[in-house]
Amino acid sequence: MNARIRPDWDIRDAILEMGGTDAYKCYQCGKCMAVCPWTHVESVVFPVYRTPQSVKLGAIMSSEDTDEIEREVTEVYRCVGCESCSTWCPHGVHMPDIMRGIRRILVEFGSYPSELSESVSRIHSSGNPFGEPREKRAAWTEGAEVPPFETGMDYLYSPCCVPAYDPRAVNVAKASVEVLKAANVSFGILGDGESCCSEAIRRAGAEEVFQEVAGANVTAFSEAGVKKVVTTSPHCHRTFDQEYGELGANFESVHQTQLFARLIEQQRLEPKNALDKKVVYHDPCALGRGCGIYDEPREVLKSIPGLDLVEIPNYSREYSLCCGGGSGGVWLERPKGERFSDIRVQQAAATGAEILAVACPYCLQMFEDSVKTMDLELEVKDVSELLAEAL
Amino acid sequence: MSRVGVFVCHCGENIARNVKVQEVVESSRDIPGTVVTADYPYLCSAPGQQMVIDAIEEHDLDRVVVAACSPQLHEPTFRAAAAQAGLNPHLCEMANIREHCSWVHRDAEQASAKAYQTVVAAVERVKRSRPLDPIEVPVTKRALVIGAGVAGIRSALDMANAGHSVVLVERQPSIGGNMSRLSETFPTLDCSQCILTPLMVQVSRHPNIELLTYSEIEEVSGYVGNFKVRIRRKPSFVVAEDCTACGDCAEVCPQPSGNEFDMALSSRKAIYIPFPQAVPSVYTLDPDRCLNSKLDSPTGFRVLACVKCDEVCKPQCIDFDMQPEFIEREVGVIVAATGFDMKLGQQAAECGYGKHVDVMDGLEFERMLSASGPTEGEVRRPSDGKTPKDVVFIQCVGSRNPEHGVSYCSRICCMYTAKHALLLRHKVPESRAYIFYMDIRAGGKGYEEFVHRAMEEERVMYIRGRPSQIIEEEGKLKVLGVDTLSGRTVEIDADMVVLAAAMEPADHGEIAGKLRIAADTDGFFKEAHPKLRPVETLTAGIFLAGTAQAPKDIPDTVSQASAAASKGMEMLSKDFLERDPSTAHVDESACAGCFECLAVCPYGAIERKQLLDAQGEVFREVAAPNPAMCEGCGLCTVTCRGGYIDLEGYTDEQVFAQLGALGALREVIER
Ligand SMILES: Cc1cc2nc3c(=O)[nH]c(=O)nc-3n(C[C@H](O)[C@H](O)[C@H](O)COP(=O)(O)OP(=O)(O)OC[C@H]3O[C@@H](n4cnc5c(N)ncnc54)[C@H](O)[C@@H]3O)c2cc1C
Ligand code: SF4
Ligand code: SF4
Ligand code: SF4
Ligand code: SF4
Repeated sequence: MNARIRPDWDIRDAILEMGGTDAYKCYQCGKCMAVCPWTHVESVVFPVYRTPQSVKLGAIMSSEDTDEIEREVTEVYRCVGCESCSTWCPHGVHMPDIMRGIRRILVEFGSYPSELSESVSRIHSSGNPFGEPREKRAAWTEGAEVPPFETGMDYLYSPCCVPAYDPRAVNVAKASVEVLKAANVSFGILGDGESCCSEAIRRAGAEEVFQEVAGANVTAFSEAGVKKVVTTSPHCHRTFDQEYGELGANFESVHQTQLFARLIEQQRLEPKNALDKKVVYHDPCALGRGCGIYDEPREVLKSIPGLDLVEIPNYSREYSLCCGGGSGGVWLERPKGERFSDIRVQQAAATGAEILAVACPYCLQMFEDSVKTMDLELEVKDVSELLAEAL
Repeated sequence: MSRVGVFVCHCGENIARNVKVQEVVESSRDIPGTVVTADYPYLCSAPGQQMVIDAIEEHDLDRVVVAACSPQLHEPTFRAAAAQAGLNPHLCEMANIREHCSWVHRDAEQASAKAYQTVVAAVERVKRSRPLDPIEVPVTKRALVIGAGVAGIRSALDMANAGHSVVLVERQPSIGGNMSRLSETFPTLDCSQCILTPLMVQVSRHPNIELLTYSEIEEVSGYVGNFKVRIRRKPSFVVAEDCTACGDCAEVCPQPSGNEFDMALSSRKAIYIPFPQAVPSVYTLDPDRCLNSKLDSPTGFRVLACVKCDEVCKPQCIDFDMQPEFIEREVGVIVAATGFDMKLGQQAAECGYGKHVDVMDGLEFERMLSASGPTEGEVRRPSDGKTPKDVVFIQCVGSRNPEHGVSYCSRICCMYTAKHALLLRHKVPESRAYIFYMDIRAGGKGYEEFVHRAMEEERVMYIRGRPSQIIEEEGKLKVLGVDTLSGRTVEIDADMVVLAAAMEPADHGEIAGKLRIAADTDGFFKEAHPKLRPVETLTAGIFLAGTAQAPKDIPDTVSQASAAASKGMEMLSKDFLERDPSTAHVDESACAGCFECLAVCPYGAIERKQLLDAQGEVFREVAAPNPAMCEGCGLCTVTCRGGYIDLEGYTDEQVFAQLGALGALREVIER
């Protein structure tokens, strides 16, 4: 570390220009660090409140020393954009925006984690982070008879890359369309006509690729005459709802749990198969703190006969502990002991629940991994899967 | 033809830097009616003013224009100089060539041109000015003080000691306010009751103070020097004159519940005295808790289910039929001293307030520390009554938190938290105190030293950071947080947590509305000028004292209370008050009596006046602004569709001439 700081106005201004102006608001109270999920990791100290100060001093990315740069990059990429800090910050600082500002510069210089840069280039070339062929984007529908989207339909169903390609998560997309069909919702899919929503890579700093890929989505949606989108992933929903407007999009977005809850309320869906199990629900960051959607997924679960819904004490709703998958975290290889998902599944198991219900494909992947590596007796399921089984 | 003198100021470099003063002086010579022009480096200086005075006398001037700074600043100065030379002060006009020209323009050419235009406009305006005399209003020699915390008490005593009559209105059964709740006071650790009670007793005995407790302001009308106040005295159902405060009634009353004076940490009966030293020393029957129901009765209690207090009261002072009493008083000045409340909002809830009983706010802890409090000064955990060992104090709860609380700093909590930690250590020597803080604001006299006493002598552990969560675990409160100085997370198993919650104004617009004074965005009463008129309001005759105006400690509260009293006495010592004659005048021959103006006047200054014919019959009603109440805002003049209202000093003729000179409304003028 450089022992002495020589304030650098150019670096400061560059980051502020990249969207880091919230740094001005910060008064270094430390609340963000106190509520950051990294506080659950004993071996790591992540004093995130120092980041806005480093930005204000221009005391970041100013070193020539490679070790120092590496240390800074690791630090800056610790943030998973869970929005815990921005929810509780007394001064309205949106830390993920500051992180994004710094990362945009790191990405421009190519000094960011290789796992991320690979995902970014795969999304750029084939529209998904796995590098799977674009043409196979609708392969998951095999045997499920999912109609292609046509102008005049109520909803475009946008499944997220994970359910579209991941063998385990495919079932989530299938369950979701099963539910939509059961309620006679008019919907269709674009298949290979859409690409990754690119929310994660934008947060990882790959602004240019985001602009390009997301821009193509906007065009595709508008050409197809899409007015409303229903998403499986809260990440897609958040960026459609809160960020695509910047790109000129004019469609509405809902998360599927919102739509399901409404359909149940209207009695267009009537879950009747009992599930006599204890279920604990995990609030995905992007859905809860990110979009303020806490009640709808719980309403869906409670509508299932026999289901006993429990909460993780102290860490649910606004206090939910991140799975670690946001802002590209899902693609980073974190050493054992540093995985939030390991801590979270333990919290979930401690409630005595048999099923951990999620409403986000990243959470699903992260928790399934953790449950396996930790050898826990806990099933991880998407809310849509539980609902579909109950119909 | 007028004889106008134009005087242009350099204001050192302030004006001269950007405005070519010489050019302005020279061109001004040709303005019709101008007989003399001059300039000076600092016109507001004594020789500068003398130059103006001499010129008025020498050239027999009947109008003056001073081209200098804002009239806000020096209009009174030059008007006084004009008066000294025998000219009516309203015939002296300012042209603002500093704030409006030199300070806001870079281009000297254009700034000078604009300065000249401004001078021409002022000359055109002043040529149409009329001499005006101040309005004199008689003064009612009595003050009203609203709220009897330490601020109201100090203000009332100061004015009463100077020989003025004071009506002191307090809505609670006793005077004393929040200070009477405090244990010991920083930085000297005087016992709060010991220093406050003597003042409370003085109030009750003072021949010049009429004390109305358990009373509220119903209505305020009138204007400076002549306010009319209607006060509602709530029925206490106890004849105060007869009550000996023996307490026999409370002993037999079967209805206990939380005592709000002790922040509900102790209980009181339906008939009660809030605390032993209460002034006046009388019992009050709380109708909301009494077993007897009122059933919306206009005459006291309707159904008497219990008469136990009545049976035991030897002087027979229980009166179940007591009625609210309405008292009307005329006063000349008003001091608003309604004080503060604790604000327990979202952030307090985040810290477990309302969820864990062992999380309390600062005022509750004060009661616990107070020798006359619910635990007689012993520190006890509310949950199990045990003496706590590890106590966590959290500062800035809700304060400095625009997202989940208020944006301002409450100013006193750094200090009282240090005091709390120190007193805890005095009372429980084996205890350990932790304070989560963000900054320590200890700017008062002896304050920094006091905080260091807590740190060094009492070994209080200061942690710079904020907690994230407070989790109840095995009877302890686990406080999770960070220390930003070491950059590490912190975990403390506490027995008790005390929150330094934000201070908020006790008045939520009610008194402000009745007094027609402004409140700032946080609800604190707004002063007329933050620096130069800190205890006045923009409504003449109404002054501010204490925490109703902004958060402050006792020394500042008392200083402001004395300042408000002295401002009040300045008015009360006069027989007549002079008011600015820039008031609205209605052309009675033209007024159609639509009274749109009456509806818009924010000061209620417009009255209905009946015009009588030769037989003494009313033939028309017209609007008549009361010059003693009109603040000269001008709303009515623009509301009147016929344009029949003019504001003295701002008549249509003057304003149009001024605008016309600026070229803006040339056609209008010519037509
Ligand atoms: C926990 C705590 C500890 C403190 N410790 C200290 C200390 O150690 N040293 C120190 O210097 N300061 C201390 N302070 C600050 C001190 O309490 C205040 O500065 C002081 O009490 C302010 O007095 P006040 O008269 O302005 O307000 P208040 O005490 O609030 O009095 C206002 C009065 O007006 C009455 N009122 C309100 N509205 C109306 C109405 N509409 N009509 C009629 N009456 C009305 C109220 O009933 C009340 O009696 C402490 C404050 C707190 C919260
Ligand atoms: S919580 Fe907000 S103000 Fe406090 S240190 Fe973090 S970013 Fe800054
Ligand atoms: S967004 Fe989440 S991970 Fe990132 S700094 Fe804030 S609390 Fe930590
Ligand atoms: S006085 Fe101290 S504790 Fe209170 S709000 Fe201000 S800084 Fe925070
Ligand atoms: S000028 Fe303003 S204060 Fe005066 S009477 Fe008209 S509206 Fe009322």
